[in-house]
Amino acid sequence: MKEKTSEEIVLEIKDKSELMVDLAYSSILYDNKTIAQEVYDLEDAVDLLYQLLQKKSLEDVQNKKHSINDALTLLRIANAGEQIADAAQEIADVELRDVELHPILKMSIREADIVFTKVQVNPNSILCDKTLGELKLSSETGMVVIAMRHKNKWLYGPTKKTKIDPEDILFAKGPEDGEKHLIELAHAISDEI
Amino acid sequence: MKEKEKRKIFGRLQRTPKWKKEEFTEIEYEPTSVKELMTEMKDISELIIDLAYSAVLFDSEDIAEEVKYLDVRMDKLNYDIRMMAMMAARTKEDAEQLAGILQVAEAAETISNAAGDIAKLLSLKEKTRPIIPNILKKADESLFRVKVSVKSEACNQEIGQLKVESETGMRIIAIRRGECWIYNPQSDTTIKADDWLIVRGTDEGYNDLDKFLQGKLKVLE
Repeated sequence: MKEKTSEEIVLEIKDKSELMVDLAYSSILYDNKTIAQEVYDLEDAVDLLYQLLQKKSLEDVQNKKHSINDALTLLRIANAGEQIADAAQEIADVELRDVELHPILKMSIREADIVFTKVQVNPNSILCDKTLGELKLSSETGMVVIAMRHKNKWLYGPTKKTKIDPEDILFAKGPEDGEKHLIELAHAISDEI
Repeated sequence: MKEKEKRKIFGRLQRTPKWKKEEFTEIEYEPTSVKELMTEMKDISELIIDLAYSAVLFDSEDIAEEVKYLDVRMDKLNYDIRMMAMMAARTKEDAEQLAGILQVAEAAETISNAAGDIAKLLSLKEKTRPIIPNILKKADESLFRVKVSVKSEACNQEIGQLKVESETGMRIIAIRRGECWIYNPQSDTTIKADDWLIVRGTDEGYNDLDKFLQGKLKVLE
Protein backbone atom coordinates (compact mmCIF):
# COMPACT_ATOMS: atom_id res chain seq x y z
CA MET A 1 0.00 0.00 0.00
CA LYS A 2 1.17 3.48 -0.80
CA GLU A 3 2.30 5.44 2.21
CA LYS A 4 -0.01 8.26 3.24
CA THR A 5 1.21 11.81 2.80
CA SER A 6 1.07 14.29 5.67
CA GLU A 7 -1.82 16.09 3.96
CA GLU A 8 -3.83 12.89 3.73
CA ILE A 9 -3.24 12.16 7.40
CA VAL A 10 -4.42 15.64 8.42
CA LEU A 11 -7.54 15.24 6.32
CA GLU A 12 -8.25 11.87 7.86
CA ILE A 13 -7.90 13.33 11.35
CA LYS A 14 -10.28 16.17 10.40
CA ASP A 15 -12.93 13.86 8.93
CA LYS A 16 -12.65 11.30 11.73
CA SER A 17 -12.83 13.88 14.52
CA GLU A 18 -15.98 15.44 13.04
CA LEU A 19 -17.59 12.04 12.62
CA MET A 20 -16.74 11.31 16.26
CA VAL A 21 -18.57 14.41 17.48
CA ASP A 22 -21.68 13.37 15.52
CA LEU A 23 -21.48 9.80 16.78
CA ALA A 24 -20.92 10.94 20.36
CA TYR A 25 -23.99 13.18 20.37
CA SER A 26 -26.13 10.48 18.76
CA SER A 27 -24.92 7.85 21.22
CA ILE A 28 -26.42 9.99 23.96
CA LEU A 29 -29.60 10.75 22.06
CA TYR A 30 -30.28 7.04 21.45
CA ASP A 31 -28.73 5.87 24.70
CA ASN A 32 -26.56 3.59 22.58
CA LYS A 33 -23.41 2.12 24.13
CA THR A 34 -22.23 0.46 20.88
CA ILE A 35 -21.91 3.82 19.15
CA ALA A 36 -20.22 5.28 22.22
CA GLN A 37 -17.74 2.41 22.17
CA GLU A 38 -16.97 3.16 18.52
CA VAL A 39 -16.08 6.73 19.49
CA TYR A 40 -13.51 5.25 21.87
CA ASP A 41 -12.04 3.09 19.12
CA LEU A 42 -11.91 6.03 16.72
CA GLU A 43 -10.11 8.08 19.36
CA ASP A 44 -7.37 5.43 19.44
CA ALA A 45 -7.16 5.61 15.66
CA VAL A 46 -6.86 9.41 15.73
CA ASP A 47 -4.12 9.18 18.37
CA LEU A 48 -2.13 6.84 16.13
CA LEU A 49 -2.65 9.09 13.11
CA TYR A 50 -1.45 12.08 15.08
CA GLN A 51 1.71 10.27 16.16
CA LEU A 52 2.31 9.15 12.60
CA LEU A 53 1.89 12.72 11.40
CA GLN A 54 4.42 14.04 13.91
CA LYS A 55 7.03 11.67 12.55
CA LYS A 56 6.02 12.22 8.96
CA SER A 57 6.14 16.00 9.12
CA LEU A 58 9.64 15.93 10.59
CA GLU A 59 10.70 13.67 7.74
CA ASP A 60 9.05 16.05 5.25
CA VAL A 61 11.10 18.92 6.58
CA GLN A 62 14.26 16.85 6.47
CA ASN A 63 13.57 15.79 2.87
CA LYS A 64 12.74 19.41 1.98
CA LYS A 65 9.21 18.41 0.96
CA HIS A 66 7.73 20.99 3.30
CA SER A 67 9.03 24.16 4.85
CA ILE A 68 9.12 24.32 8.64
CA ASN A 69 6.12 26.65 8.58
CA ASP A 70 4.06 24.32 6.40
CA ALA A 71 4.82 21.40 8.65
CA LEU A 72 3.88 23.48 11.70
CA THR A 73 0.56 24.47 10.16
CA LEU A 74 -0.27 20.84 9.46
CA LEU A 75 0.62 19.86 13.01
CA ARG A 76 -1.48 22.68 14.45
CA ILE A 77 -4.57 21.72 12.48
CA ALA A 78 -4.10 18.09 13.41
CA ASN A 79 -3.65 19.08 17.04
CA ALA A 80 -7.00 20.88 16.98
CA GLY A 81 -8.57 17.80 15.40
CA GLU A 82 -7.05 15.67 18.13
CA GLN A 83 -8.56 17.95 20.78
CA ILE A 84 -11.96 17.68 19.12
CA ALA A 85 -11.60 13.89 19.10
CA ASP A 86 -10.78 13.97 22.83
CA ALA A 87 -13.87 16.07 23.47
CA ALA A 88 -16.02 13.59 21.54
CA GLN A 89 -14.61 10.82 23.68
CA GLU A 90 -15.55 12.76 26.83
CA ILE A 91 -19.14 12.95 25.55
CA ALA A 92 -19.22 9.24 24.76
CA ASP A 93 -17.80 8.56 28.21
CA VAL A 94 -20.98 9.96 29.77
CA GLU A 95 -23.02 7.40 27.82
CA LEU A 96 -20.74 4.51 28.81
CA ARG A 97 -21.02 5.22 32.52
CA ASP A 98 -23.43 3.18 34.60
CA VAL A 99 -25.52 6.20 35.48
CA GLU A 100 -28.84 6.86 33.88
CA LEU A 101 -28.64 9.86 31.54
CA HIS A 102 -30.32 13.05 32.60
CA PRO A 103 -33.40 13.57 30.36
CA ILE A 104 -32.26 17.14 29.67
CA LEU A 105 -29.23 15.85 27.76
CA LYS A 106 -31.37 14.04 25.22
CA MET A 107 -33.80 16.94 24.99
CA SER A 108 -31.09 19.49 24.28
CA ILE A 109 -29.55 17.34 21.54
CA ARG A 110 -32.99 16.74 20.06
CA GLU A 111 -33.88 20.44 20.00
CA ALA A 112 -30.66 21.73 18.50
CA ASP A 113 -30.45 23.15 14.94
CA ILE A 114 -29.09 19.92 13.50
CA VAL A 115 -31.11 16.86 14.41
CA PHE A 116 -30.07 13.23 14.58
CA THR A 117 -32.37 10.50 13.45
CA LYS A 118 -32.52 6.71 13.48
CA VAL A 119 -34.60 4.78 10.97
CA GLN A 120 -34.97 1.17 9.86
CA VAL A 121 -35.20 0.49 6.12
CA ASN A 122 -38.39 -1.29 5.07
CA PRO A 123 -37.86 -4.11 2.47
CA ASN A 124 -40.21 -2.22 0.09
CA SER A 125 -38.30 1.01 0.41
CA ILE A 126 -36.74 2.58 -2.65
CA LEU A 127 -33.48 2.84 -0.68
CA CYS A 128 -32.93 -0.94 -0.70
CA ASP A 129 -30.03 -2.41 -2.67
CA LYS A 130 -28.73 0.96 -3.74
CA THR A 131 -25.48 2.64 -2.78
CA LEU A 132 -25.39 5.94 -0.94
CA GLY A 133 -23.67 7.43 -4.00
CA GLU A 134 -26.49 6.34 -6.34
CA LEU A 135 -29.13 7.64 -4.01
CA LYS A 136 -27.38 10.98 -3.44
CA LEU A 137 -29.15 11.01 -0.10
CA SER A 138 -27.20 13.88 1.37
CA SER A 139 -27.65 16.24 -1.56
CA GLU A 140 -31.31 15.28 -2.09
CA THR A 141 -32.64 15.09 1.47
CA GLY A 142 -29.98 16.98 3.40
CA MET A 143 -29.50 13.96 5.65
CA VAL A 144 -25.96 12.62 6.01
CA VAL A 145 -25.72 8.98 7.10
CA ILE A 146 -23.12 8.78 9.86
CA ALA A 147 -23.55 5.15 10.87
CA MET A 148 -25.43 2.02 9.78
CA ARG A 149 -26.36 -1.23 11.43
CA HIS A 150 -26.53 -4.28 9.21
CA LYS A 151 -27.89 -7.21 11.28
CA ASN A 152 -25.33 -7.34 14.07
CA LYS A 153 -22.65 -5.48 12.21
CA TRP A 154 -22.00 -1.79 12.50
CA LEU A 155 -20.56 0.52 9.92
CA TYR A 156 -19.35 3.99 10.84
CA GLY A 157 -18.83 6.85 8.41
CA PRO A 158 -20.18 5.00 5.33
CA THR A 159 -18.87 6.07 1.90
CA LYS A 160 -20.55 6.57 -1.49
CA LYS A 161 -19.99 2.90 -2.30
CA THR A 162 -21.85 1.66 0.79
CA LYS A 163 -24.97 -0.28 -0.15
CA ILE A 164 -28.20 -0.15 1.84
CA ASP A 165 -29.83 -3.52 2.48
CA PRO A 166 -33.41 -4.18 3.64
CA GLU A 167 -33.78 -3.99 7.45
CA ASP A 168 -30.59 -1.92 7.84
CA ILE A 169 -30.81 0.74 10.50
CA LEU A 170 -29.55 4.15 9.43
CA PHE A 171 -28.28 6.84 11.78
CA ALA A 172 -28.30 10.21 10.05
CA LYS A 173 -28.01 13.91 10.79
CA GLY A 174 -29.48 16.93 9.05
CA PRO A 175 -32.27 19.52 9.09
CA GLU A 176 -35.70 18.82 10.55
CA ASP A 177 -37.60 18.70 7.24
CA GLY A 178 -34.96 16.39 5.80
CA GLU A 179 -35.58 13.97 8.66
CA LYS A 180 -39.25 13.57 7.69
CA HIS A 181 -38.31 12.96 4.06
CA LEU A 182 -35.75 10.29 4.98
CA ILE A 183 -38.18 8.49 7.28
CA GLU A 184 -40.85 8.44 4.56
CA LEU A 185 -38.37 7.00 2.06
CA ALA A 186 -37.12 4.35 4.47
CA HIS A 187 -40.64 3.35 5.53
CA ALA A 188 -41.67 3.05 1.86
CA ILE A 189 -44.31 5.76 2.32
CA SER A 190 -42.71 7.85 -0.41
CA ASP A 191 -40.66 6.89 -3.48
CA GLU A 192 -39.64 10.39 -4.42
CA ILE A 193 -36.08 11.11 -3.54
CA MET B 1 -39.00 32.68 24.60
CA LYS B 2 -36.34 30.26 23.54
CA GLU B 3 -36.52 31.37 19.93
CA LYS B 4 -36.12 35.00 20.94
CA GLU B 5 -33.09 34.25 23.04
CA LYS B 6 -31.51 32.34 20.23
CA ARG B 7 -32.06 35.02 17.64
CA LYS B 8 -30.12 37.38 19.83
CA ILE B 9 -26.96 35.44 19.07
CA PHE B 10 -27.62 33.72 15.78
CA GLY B 11 -29.19 34.75 12.53
CA ARG B 12 -28.90 38.49 12.97
CA LEU B 13 -27.13 41.05 10.88
CA GLN B 14 -24.15 42.55 12.62
CA ARG B 15 -21.20 44.77 11.88
CA THR B 16 -18.59 45.06 14.60
CA PRO B 17 -17.01 42.13 16.36
CA LYS B 18 -18.43 42.04 19.84
CA TRP B 19 -16.18 39.58 21.51
CA LYS B 20 -13.95 42.14 23.21
CA LYS B 21 -16.89 43.74 24.94
CA GLU B 22 -18.24 40.37 25.96
CA GLU B 23 -14.92 39.26 27.39
CA PHE B 24 -14.73 42.15 29.81
CA THR B 25 -18.34 42.14 30.92
CA GLU B 26 -18.57 40.88 34.44
CA ILE B 27 -20.27 37.57 34.62
CA GLU B 28 -23.65 38.05 36.17
CA TYR B 29 -25.89 35.34 37.35
CA GLU B 30 -28.95 35.06 35.13
CA PRO B 31 -31.27 32.17 35.68
CA THR B 32 -31.49 30.19 32.43
CA SER B 33 -32.60 26.61 32.21
CA VAL B 34 -29.89 23.97 31.93
CA LYS B 35 -31.64 22.68 28.81
CA GLU B 36 -31.43 26.03 27.01
CA LEU B 37 -27.79 26.43 27.95
CA MET B 38 -26.93 22.91 26.81
CA THR B 39 -28.81 23.32 23.51
CA GLU B 40 -26.93 26.53 22.74
CA MET B 41 -23.61 24.94 23.66
CA LYS B 42 -24.28 22.01 21.37
CA ASP B 43 -25.26 24.33 18.50
CA ILE B 44 -22.13 26.44 18.93
CA SER B 45 -19.89 23.38 19.17
CA GLU B 46 -21.09 22.21 15.74
CA LEU B 47 -21.06 25.61 14.04
CA ILE B 48 -17.73 26.84 15.37
CA ILE B 49 -15.61 24.10 13.73
CA ASP B 50 -16.98 24.96 10.27
CA LEU B 51 -16.55 28.67 10.92
CA ALA B 52 -12.95 28.17 12.03
CA TYR B 53 -12.05 26.25 8.88
CA SER B 54 -13.90 28.82 6.73
CA ALA B 55 -11.93 31.64 8.35
CA VAL B 56 -8.66 30.01 7.33
CA LEU B 57 -9.88 28.77 3.97
CA PHE B 58 -11.33 32.10 2.82
CA ASP B 59 -8.73 34.16 4.63
CA SER B 60 -11.42 36.09 6.51
CA GLU B 61 -10.53 38.11 9.60
CA ASP B 62 -14.24 38.75 10.19
CA ILE B 63 -15.08 35.07 10.54
CA ALA B 64 -12.05 34.57 12.77
CA GLU B 65 -13.40 37.34 15.02
CA GLU B 66 -16.75 35.58 15.20
CA VAL B 67 -14.99 32.37 16.20
CA LYS B 68 -13.28 34.28 19.01
CA TYR B 69 -16.60 35.74 20.09
CA LEU B 70 -18.32 32.34 20.15
CA ASP B 71 -15.38 30.89 22.05
CA VAL B 72 -15.75 33.58 24.74
CA ARG B 73 -19.52 33.10 24.74
CA MET B 74 -18.96 29.38 25.30
CA ASP B 75 -16.86 30.13 28.40
CA LYS B 76 -19.75 32.10 29.84
CA LEU B 77 -22.31 29.41 29.00
CA ASN B 78 -20.10 26.79 30.61
CA TYR B 79 -19.88 28.90 33.76
CA ASP B 80 -23.65 29.45 33.83
CA ILE B 81 -24.43 25.79 33.33
CA ARG B 82 -22.18 24.83 36.24
CA MET B 83 -24.01 27.27 38.51
CA MET B 84 -27.42 26.07 37.38
CA ALA B 85 -26.46 22.43 37.80
CA MET B 86 -25.27 23.01 41.35
CA MET B 87 -28.48 24.72 42.26
CA ALA B 88 -30.52 21.92 40.74
CA ALA B 89 -28.87 19.07 42.65
CA ARG B 90 -30.82 17.89 45.67
CA THR B 91 -29.83 14.23 46.01
CA LYS B 92 -26.88 12.00 45.19
CA GLU B 93 -28.76 10.69 42.12
CA ASP B 94 -29.35 14.26 40.90
CA ALA B 95 -25.69 15.01 41.32
CA GLU B 96 -24.63 11.92 39.37
CA GLN B 97 -26.88 12.75 36.44
CA LEU B 98 -25.97 16.43 36.43
CA ALA B 99 -22.28 15.52 36.45
CA GLY B 100 -22.90 13.88 33.08
CA ILE B 101 -24.41 17.08 31.70
CA LEU B 102 -21.43 19.10 32.93
CA GLN B 103 -19.05 16.67 31.28
CA VAL B 104 -20.79 17.13 27.91
CA ALA B 105 -20.76 20.91 28.45
CA GLU B 106 -17.04 20.81 29.18
CA ALA B 107 -16.47 18.79 26.00
CA ALA B 108 -18.42 21.36 23.96
CA GLU B 109 -16.14 24.02 25.40
CA THR B 110 -13.03 22.02 24.49
CA ILE B 111 -14.33 21.86 20.92
CA SER B 112 -14.72 25.63 20.81
CA ASN B 113 -11.18 26.06 22.13
CA ALA B 114 -9.88 23.78 19.39
CA ALA B 115 -11.79 25.85 16.83
CA GLY B 116 -10.22 28.98 18.33
CA ASP B 117 -6.79 27.41 17.74
CA ILE B 118 -7.64 26.74 14.09
CA ALA B 119 -8.82 30.32 13.56
CA LYS B 120 -5.57 31.57 15.11
CA LEU B 121 -3.65 30.09 12.18
CA LEU B 122 -4.94 33.08 10.25
CA SER B 123 -3.03 35.58 12.36
CA LEU B 124 0.31 33.88 11.76
CA LYS B 125 2.72 36.03 9.84
CA GLU B 126 4.36 33.15 8.02
CA LYS B 127 3.08 32.44 4.54
CA THR B 128 1.79 28.89 4.78
CA ARG B 129 -1.87 29.13 4.03
CA PRO B 130 -2.09 27.61 0.54
CA ILE B 131 -1.45 24.25 2.15
CA ILE B 132 -4.75 24.41 4.05
CA PRO B 133 -7.13 24.96 1.09
CA ASN B 134 -5.45 22.06 -0.68
CA ILE B 135 -6.28 19.75 2.20
CA LEU B 136 -9.81 20.98 2.83
CA LYS B 137 -10.81 20.65 -0.82
CA LYS B 138 -10.51 16.89 -0.54
CA ALA B 139 -12.69 16.47 2.58
CA ASP B 140 -15.95 14.45 2.45
CA GLU B 141 -17.91 17.61 2.87
CA SER B 142 -16.18 20.82 1.99
CA LEU B 143 -16.80 24.51 2.45
CA PHE B 144 -17.77 26.76 -0.43
CA ARG B 145 -18.38 30.45 -1.02
CA VAL B 146 -21.12 31.45 -3.43
CA LYS B 147 -22.67 34.75 -4.49
CA VAL B 148 -26.40 35.31 -4.94
CA SER B 149 -27.23 36.78 -8.35
CA VAL B 150 -30.01 39.36 -8.78
CA LYS B 151 -31.53 36.95 -11.30
CA SER B 152 -31.89 34.14 -8.76
CA GLU B 153 -35.28 33.07 -7.44
CA ALA B 154 -33.67 32.94 -4.00
CA CYS B 155 -33.72 36.74 -3.63
CA ASN B 156 -35.98 37.97 -0.85
CA GLN B 157 -36.94 34.43 0.12
CA GLU B 158 -36.58 32.85 3.54
CA ILE B 159 -34.11 29.99 3.90
CA GLY B 160 -36.82 27.83 5.45
CA GLN B 161 -39.16 28.33 2.49
CA LEU B 162 -36.43 27.54 -0.01
CA LYS B 163 -35.59 24.36 1.95
CA VAL B 164 -31.97 24.86 0.92
CA GLU B 165 -30.62 22.23 3.25
CA SER B 166 -33.19 19.50 2.69
CA GLU B 167 -33.13 19.97 -1.10
CA THR B 168 -29.39 20.27 -1.66
CA GLY B 169 -27.78 19.04 1.54
CA MET B 170 -25.92 22.34 1.75
CA ARG B 171 -25.90 23.92 5.19
CA ILE B 172 -25.55 27.70 5.17
CA ILE B 173 -23.19 28.59 7.97
CA ALA B 174 -22.82 32.31 7.31
CA ILE B 175 -23.99 35.11 5.04
CA ARG B 176 -22.02 38.23 4.16
CA ARG B 177 -24.11 41.24 3.20
CA GLY B 178 -21.99 44.27 2.34
CA GLU B 179 -19.84 44.77 5.39
CA CYS B 180 -22.22 42.92 7.69
CA TRP B 181 -22.48 39.26 8.56
CA ILE B 182 -25.19 36.83 9.61
CA TYR B 183 -23.80 33.76 11.32
CA ASN B 184 -25.76 30.53 11.55
CA PRO B 185 -28.78 31.93 9.69
CA GLN B 186 -32.12 30.56 10.89
CA SER B 187 -35.03 29.32 8.79
CA ASP B 188 -36.66 32.78 8.85
CA THR B 189 -33.51 34.54 7.60
CA THR B 190 -34.07 36.18 4.19
CA ILE B 191 -31.57 35.84 1.35
CA LYS B 192 -30.91 39.01 -0.64
CA ALA B 193 -29.32 39.74 -3.99
CA ASP B 194 -25.51 40.12 -3.83
CA ASP B 195 -25.26 38.20 -0.56
CA TRP B 196 -22.23 35.94 -0.24
CA LEU B 197 -23.12 32.60 1.34
CA ILE B 198 -20.65 30.32 3.05
CA VAL B 199 -21.98 26.80 2.79
CA ARG B 200 -20.93 23.31 3.74
CA GLY B 201 -21.78 20.11 1.88
CA THR B 202 -20.93 17.82 -1.03
CA ASP B 203 -19.75 18.86 -4.51
CA GLU B 204 -23.06 17.71 -6.07
CA GLY B 205 -25.12 19.74 -3.66
CA TYR B 206 -22.89 22.73 -4.31
CA ASN B 207 -23.37 22.48 -8.09
CA ASP B 208 -27.18 22.55 -7.72
CA LEU B 209 -27.14 25.40 -5.23
CA ASP B 210 -24.66 27.39 -7.32
CA LYS B 211 -26.86 27.12 -10.45
CA PHE B 212 -29.92 28.13 -8.44
CA LEU B 213 -28.20 31.13 -6.87
CA GLN B 214 -26.89 32.28 -10.25
CA GLY B 215 -30.42 32.13 -11.64
CA LYS B 216 -29.64 29.30 -14.08
CA LEU B 217 -32.00 26.98 -12.23
CA LYS B 218 -35.47 28.20 -11.35
CA VAL B 219 -36.37 25.78 -8.58
CA LEU B 220 -34.44 23.70 -6.06
CA GLU B 221 -35.41 20.04 -6.26
